[in-house]
Amino acid sequence: MITQERYRTTVKELLANGSIKMAIGYRLGSTPDRRRPLFIRTSEEADQLVLDSTCMTNLSGYLVTEGLLSDEKKVGIFLRPEGIRSINILAAEYQLNADQIVIFGFDSTGRDVRPLDGRNVGEFSKLLNEIKEHPLQIVKEPLHWRIEKMNAKERFDFWQEEFSRCIKCYACRQACPMCYCRRCIVDSNQPQWINTSSHTLGNFEWNIVRAFHLSGRCVQCGNCDRACPVNIPLRLINQRMANEVLDGFDHFAGLSPTQEPVLASFKKDDTETFIL
Amino acid sequence: MSELKFEPKIVAFVCTYCTYAGADLAGTSRLKYAPNVRIVRLPCTGRISPMFILKALQKGADGVLVSGCHPGDCHFTHGNYHARRRWMVFRALLDFTGISPERVMFSWISAAEGSKFADLINSVTEDIRKLGPFDQYQQLIKETESPATL
Amino acid sequence: MAKIGVFICHCGENIAAKVDCTKLAAAMGEHPGVAVSVEYKYFCSDPGQESVKKAIRDNNLTGIVIAACSPRMHEATFRKACAEAGLNPYLCEIANIREQCSWVHTDSDMATEKAMDITRSMVEKVKRNNILQPIEVPVTRRALVIGGGIAGLQAALDIANAGQEVVLVEREPSLGGHMAQLSETFPTLDCSQCIMTPRMVETAQHPKIRLLTYAEVESVDGYIGNFKVRIRMKSRYVDMSRCTGCGDCITKCPAKKISSEFDCGLGKRTAIYTPFAQSVPNMPVIDTASCIYFKNGKCKMCQKSCQLNAINFEMQDEFIDLEIGAIVVATGFQIQNTAVYGEYGYGKFPDVITGLQFERLASASGPTAGKILRPSDGKEPQNVVFIQCAGSRDPSKGVRYCSKICCMYTAKHAMLYAHKVHGGKTHIFYMDIRAAGKGYDEFTRRAIEEDEASYIRGRVSKVWQENGKLMVRGVDTLLGKPVTVVADMVVLATAMVPQSDAKEFAKNIGIAYDEYGFYNEAHLKLRPVESSTAGVFLAGACQSPKDIPDSISQASATASKVLALFSKEKLEREPVIAINNEATCAGCWGCVLACPYNAIEKKDIRDRSGRLIKQVAFVNPGLCQGCGTCVSFCRSNSLDLAGFTEKQIFAEVMGL
Repeated sequence: MITQERYRTTVKELLANGSIKMAIGYRLGSTPDRRRPLFIRTSEEADQLVLDSTCMTNLSGYLVTEGLLSDEKKVGIFLRPEGIRSINILAAEYQLNADQIVIFGFDSTGRDVRPLDGRNVGEFSKLLNEIKEHPLQIVKEPLHWRIEKMNAKERFDFWQEEFSRCIKCYACRQACPMCYCRRCIVDSNQPQWINTSSHTLGNFEWNIVRAFHLSGRCVQCGNCDRACPVNIPLRLINQRMANEVLDGFDHFAGLSPTQEPVLASFKKDDTETFIL
Repeated sequence: MSELKFEPKIVAFVCTYCTYAGADLAGTSRLKYAPNVRIVRLPCTGRISPMFILKALQKGADGVLVSGCHPGDCHFTHGNYHARRRWMVFRALLDFTGISPERVMFSWISAAEGSKFADLINSVTEDIRKLGPFDQYQQLIKETESPATL
Repeated sequence: MAKIGVFICHCGENIAAKVDCTKLAAAMGEHPGVAVSVEYKYFCSDPGQESVKKAIRDNNLTGIVIAACSPRMHEATFRKACAEAGLNPYLCEIANIREQCSWVHTDSDMATEKAMDITRSMVEKVKRNNILQPIEVPVTRRALVIGGGIAGLQAALDIANAGQEVVLVEREPSLGGHMAQLSETFPTLDCSQCIMTPRMVETAQHPKIRLLTYAEVESVDGYIGNFKVRIRMKSRYVDMSRCTGCGDCITKCPAKKISSEFDCGLGKRTAIYTPFAQSVPNMPVIDTASCIYFKNGKCKMCQKSCQLNAINFEMQDEFIDLEIGAIVVATGFQIQNTAVYGEYGYGKFPDVITGLQFERLASASGPTAGKILRPSDGKEPQNVVFIQCAGSRDPSKGVRYCSKICCMYTAKHAMLYAHKVHGGKTHIFYMDIRAAGKGYDEFTRRAIEEDEASYIRGRVSKVWQENGKLMVRGVDTLLGKPVTVVADMVVLATAMVPQSDAKEFAKNIGIAYDEYGFYNEAHLKLRPVESSTAGVFLAGACQSPKDIPDSISQASATASKVLALFSKEKLEREPVIAINNEATCAGCWGCVLACPYNAIEKKDIRDRSGRLIKQVAFVNPGLCQGCGTCVSFCRSNSLDLAGFTEKQIFAEVMGL
């Protein structure tokens, strides 16, 4: 509660002195443990700000809404460490200018919410490096271990089962801050790379391609997972890919706003044990 | 019995400067190899998108082979380095989702390695033959042909 | 509506013996969109080609597939035939059923089945082929040669003698480079200056060559045929339009004790100076770091002595912008800083010198007028020890590569010394004698057999001074014993390394370099004189250590590449290039980073009032080489590659 009150005051101050034109945060949602985004432009709106451990959504995707940042005025945003990494990636991929973003960082343990020091992404680099160096914080869940132990056939069956439920609503894409393309590959029909009808083959292709496009970019904020109406454990695939680029290329997505995208760069001595 | 022997269908995506030329060399050297592979020629391994691999599977391939120039030999200086990263990630992804890495293989074959090409095609064909048809994927393909169930 | 012609070639028996061509033709004839499906013994023959052309005309075909040998064999032939029949040549595809089918399979049924798959997939591909036109890029017929050493001079002269304009940029006050510093050259022992200076003069006087000395390339933009180059003319403080090179200013200059770079510190020069007597242009520059006026604000002796009013202390750097069609990079090398070998005492003992310093001692125009004299006391050394690979082939302290020229110049030094100091003794410590080259091994043998150079196979561990002598401790690995040689002078065969600013310069002009900073060729074997950037060529030791004949050969090769480029008004290129869909491009610039050719630029999209709406990727057709790396990177599927489009490949795979 203290954190929430302090941030309410800060936002009001920054809005009043013109340092930011808007702050993006959380407000109460339709049920007690749901939160919805809040776009704060006035002092009154700031009073609706809620900041507690249920504020899970990574809000950074709202920043790339067309036109929001084009006046070069600063926008404040409430972010967990994963969200801060998203800002770095969006900056590295030239979707926004990181200097335009004022970060209200927070994190939570249990029900406790605490603020994170810093306002500009640069000030969080120590924190992000620590997270990278201590991968234990990214705990593999039991389901993950279960899949690792399966053989190929069992895994295929597992995912076939999961993907068969997919209704291709693309909520995962809409919720993801990284899915900022003006046209998604799934909407490209010349050629129609991905089968759009809702059969498992098409679902399989869609989810594989989505995971591939997020490889080296996903920060495991969990937006897609929470958005999925049929509860496909999308986080598992994304987590697996994040581990892959970390182990293979020492790439931890979103460490800095100038980080080279892992799949658009290479090292001559990259691993190639798998190549015949 | 042998009439019913499973003949794997394998699709290969190769770059034109190295592996395609290596395959041509196998031909001009009259080396003999298994007839199960169909080659798709591209300018560079850098052009080989993961989508191609998925489409080959959709077309009923039991195995996919991707091949290009050895590191350092790329006609386009480093298309193959980019490809290598992409493959490594994509391969892990397929593995995690149950498409065994044994079905999607990668190799470097230079324009001079006609015999490596022939040997590789033979060994890949045998490996896939041992794995058997990719029934699980074919089941998915079959579903798409039937009307959607309610 | 597609009307595809399928032409199945028997190639005599080569295809027909394994593939049932009649069955193949019949199957293709029934494939949707195929208007003609015929077989013939030899389609590449004249009547074969005529029949293809006739079929194209008679049936108004929209595309053809030739099922025959490898496209690497006859794609060009059949594309030409298409063009002659009025069909765009890029609407022709080859189904390779010989090298990759009939020749490699034994089972006839399986081979026929495979041939069908191959041909069908090409039919599906060709249905989606687009009409393409070769890309034409205008060419500015003016070459820029960077570096006025022997490689740069050769390239400039070759291009200019063929009648094309050349701009030659040299950052030092004079042309000449390292070759001008050498005494005699191996393996003929002809005087370096005697063969070098006429070339320098010829270059300076050539009507087609614009010579810019004391100048540096500031930036390079654009692409092959159309570079925009900015040159910084460093201020000489001497007005070149007035100066006649009389040398009065040099005589009067009171700052006389400045170590001469050209003489590798063995000689002295003034603050206003020409690097050497035969400098081209023979006009001095003021070294502001040493000039008394620039340091204290008083002196101006040179200005007072100049009767032509050529000295101008107010001079500023100037910039020249040039339009250039092709660039030859001939920026040369430098020698490694020998201070890394503390145990050899370079810098500590004045009589431990580098090979290049020895060249200056042996040079008739050098500080000792060609006499071999010790720097310490000016006495003639009676025992000289040469240490080869002082830096080369030494991963721990020096560089891993072989500097290539040291074996030869050390043998030459031993010979020159023997010729100049009768009765002098030479010892050469070596790892291997690498004397591959015309007349080279004979040359080293002569050094051993006629000039009595004593070669000791082994490394030197330490050089120290004792009673005014240099003690050289090494090992003779052939005898398996340590040896100590008493010497009056020690000459180190230092490694050739890239210029200290080589990497920075490469980034500036957009070419690739290796771990050391030597410039990368486009292909080590097949394209050794092209850089990774189209229209930029490499000559001389900036690419790798080279001797004079190699540098000159490569320089002439770059000249021929430049001249081939200039032989046409427009550059014609295969239209296999990437294209971007600006409407869907998300501007993430992954493609910009991934492109091996820096061919992708950021393009501003503005509305009618000029307001910037967004930035998108733009593929420069002059630079794109058509690898397609960007296409498979592009998440939004905005990029595509002409000739191998997403639609074509999709259809090809689905046709299998």
